Amino acid sequence: MTSHLGLMIVFAFFVSIVFATLMRDEPKQQLRFGGQLFAAFVVGGITLGWILYFFPL
Amino acid sequence: MRATTADREQSAIYTYLICLAAWAIPGAGHLLLGRIQKGVTFLVALTLMFLCGLWLEGRLFPLEIRQPLVALAALADMGVGVLFFIARGAGAGAGRVVALTYEYGNAFLIVAGLLNMLVVLDAFDITQGRK
Repeated sequence: MTSHLGLMIVFAFFVSIVFATLMRDEPKQQLRFGGQLFAAFVVGGITLGWILYFFPL
Repeated sequence: MRATTADREQSAIYTYLICLAAWAIPGAGHLLLGRIQKGVTFLVALTLMFLCGLWLEGRLFPLEIRQPLVALAALADMGVGVLFFIARGAGAGAGRVVALTYEYGNAFLIVAGLLNMLVVLDAFDITQGRK
């Protein structure tokens, strides 16, 4: 749960919920947009992590 | 019919009160405006996010003007409203720098405050009839 990936997923979950609720009025639209945001955050985070893996400090 | 000055003042006071409530308790502004589903969602999500930040041993930063970044973090933390002051009063949010999750905790606490500021702006827009 307190792994980097786990915490990133929890963080993405909360931020997606709030953004989706702010930006969409209908619960169905909120769910759809929230799911898309969540997927984008998680996939984007993992992708960025792998890209940075090849460019160490 | 034109709005009188008294009407406009009353409307402005109402707007400020809604914004104050929205800041103090996440989602309260939307609840007062009748947007129950949104209000409850904000209340639950932002409160849980803030509590997660405390659980992850993040720090509730003090408002130190001499250290601008610390002061900005404190302002962001305070965005979550009375939860910040309750946690500070209870001695929570001291932050343990050596904890593995310290920076994550800070991110949760700061972002919860910043998101609540967006929620306040949304409540303001609703009172102005923009939504």
